[in-house]
Amino acid sequence: MFNIDMEGIDLEKTYDLIVLGGGPTAIGCAIYAARFAMDVLIVGKTFGGLIATTHLVENYPGVASISGQGLMDMFKDHMDSLEIPYISDEIRSIAKENDHFVLLSFFQKFKAFSICIATGSERRKLSVPGENKFTGKGVSYCATCDGPFYKEKIVAVIGGSDSAAKEALFLAQNSEKVYIIYRGGEIRAEPINKKRVLENHKIEIIYNTNVVEIKGDNTVKSIIFDNGKDLDVDGVFIEIGSIPNSDLAKQIGIKTNEKDEIIINRKSETNVPGIFAAGDVADAPFKQAITGVAEGVIAAYSAFDYVKKIDIEY
Amino acid sequence: MSHDDKYREIIKREMAKLRKPVKLKVFTCKERQIEGSYIKECMDCEQFMALLKIYEENSNGMLTIEELCIDDNPEFAKKFDISRVPTILFIDDKGREIIRYLAAPQGGEIQPFIQALFAFAGAPNYYEATIKQNLNRIQPSTIKVMITETCPYCPQVCTIANNFAIASDGKIRTIIIDIMANPDISQYYDAAGVPYTIINDQKTLVGMVGPNEILRALIGGNIRVQY
Repeated sequence: MFNIDMEGIDLEKTYDLIVLGGGPTAIGCAIYAARFAMDVLIVGKTFGGLIATTHLVENYPGVASISGQGLMDMFKDHMDSLEIPYISDEIRSIAKENDHFVLLSFFQKFKAFSICIATGSERRKLSVPGENKFTGKGVSYCATCDGPFYKEKIVAVIGGSDSAAKEALFLAQNSEKVYIIYRGGEIRAEPINKKRVLENHKIEIIYNTNVVEIKGDNTVKSIIFDNGKDLDVDGVFIEIGSIPNSDLAKQIGIKTNEKDEIIINRKSETNVPGIFAAGDVADAPFKQAITGVAEGVIAAYSAFDYVKKIDIEY
Repeated sequence: MSHDDKYREIIKREMAKLRKPVKLKVFTCKERQIEGSYIKECMDCEQFMALLKIYEENSNGMLTIEELCIDDNPEFAKKFDISRVPTILFIDDKGREIIRYLAAPQGGEIQPFIQALFAFAGAPNYYEATIKQNLNRIQPSTIKVMITETCPYCPQVCTIANNFAIASDGKIRTIIIDIMANPDISQYYDAAGVPYTIINDQKTLVGMVGPNEILRALIGGNIRVQY
């Protein structure tokens, strides 16, 4: 759940910090900023981020087991208790004007002394024939969203990561059969999830295999492998990693690495003073909600220090 | 606290903030014809009305739910093309349908439903200025948003679409469809993923889409913004 009303939003104000994003990193950053008494606003396309689509989170300290959506509802409650405004929009340009930044979205103009980019990442596409044609018609990137369509049906999960394993476990609750199609020889899930997958009689793993085409008529009917064989399925869930949402950062001269991740230092600073970055969009090696939140918190600290110096100078 | 208790608390807390009156029409049916004979009551309608009563009772008299039996109001039902029950209609003071719900406002759909009530009652609407600036480029449009109860992104798309409709001076209409409750509609569109947004039965947007993507689809071109 999220807010989109104008309550708490002042378009004339120069915010101390505007956080771009809507996942745990962005909210963690905003919560700390609010507690530093900074005027903070979150502008994001997707409240909850990718973790909201995770059916089970079991590695967030203090919460033994919860759905991704449930965890984000808790973040939302915390955010609301501090009256942090959130709006659903996307920033398309950022420019520096004197001591502050001007951010233009498709709907409004904002001003801020500092910015934290926590725009996260989006699902990587398989890039095979049929993928685009059948998106929403059998091809999915979110088991939590679309799992209910595949009750007692046959589905394939493409990928071998922990996320892929969790998607398969979720789908196996209601689907008749779940295939995991993985290009490697052993799935890379956390040991606890790997064990669950291997013990689940509804899940079958097909190793050392790539999907080269998705076929169907109005909806998905089968997938074709690189060994020439095919498999009849009703749905295909693609879980092959993600790519950082760093286009805006690159557009304004923020340095990124070869994976298009924003390069940050231990203070979550980018190469542009006043602009910080954190979470999946940044270049930290481990992409977890908890590490993203930590980076977001560091960004809030650093933004607080940065804005404090502007206050002293003016 | 159970999910039901939590949701009831949210409705209670949020509805108490409604400051201006809103009236909704809800079509139900007391009798249904099945295979030539009539059966009394519609179970879905009963549950639906009980849920809406929670909203009404916690609104300090600001929300009025008018229940209309489709069998007793055939002309009205025909005027608004009510082909299934239960159906919620947000009708503006000029008699235009702005939002139609073929979905129960429960679970994740509570927040967008309440926000629609507030915006419909005249609360400031974030998208209003840009929608008005681009209104002459938008044809009379219907945005259908297909949702499921478990989809984390659906409430966000519903909120955007509803706010667009409310800001559009009757030019845009939104229909929110729970496809688990209306499987024939998802089958008609071959939709097997949500949120599934259809603009004027011509353009389809699958998955989480932002307000700019929906507005671009409505305009058929780039958005003009005067800051």
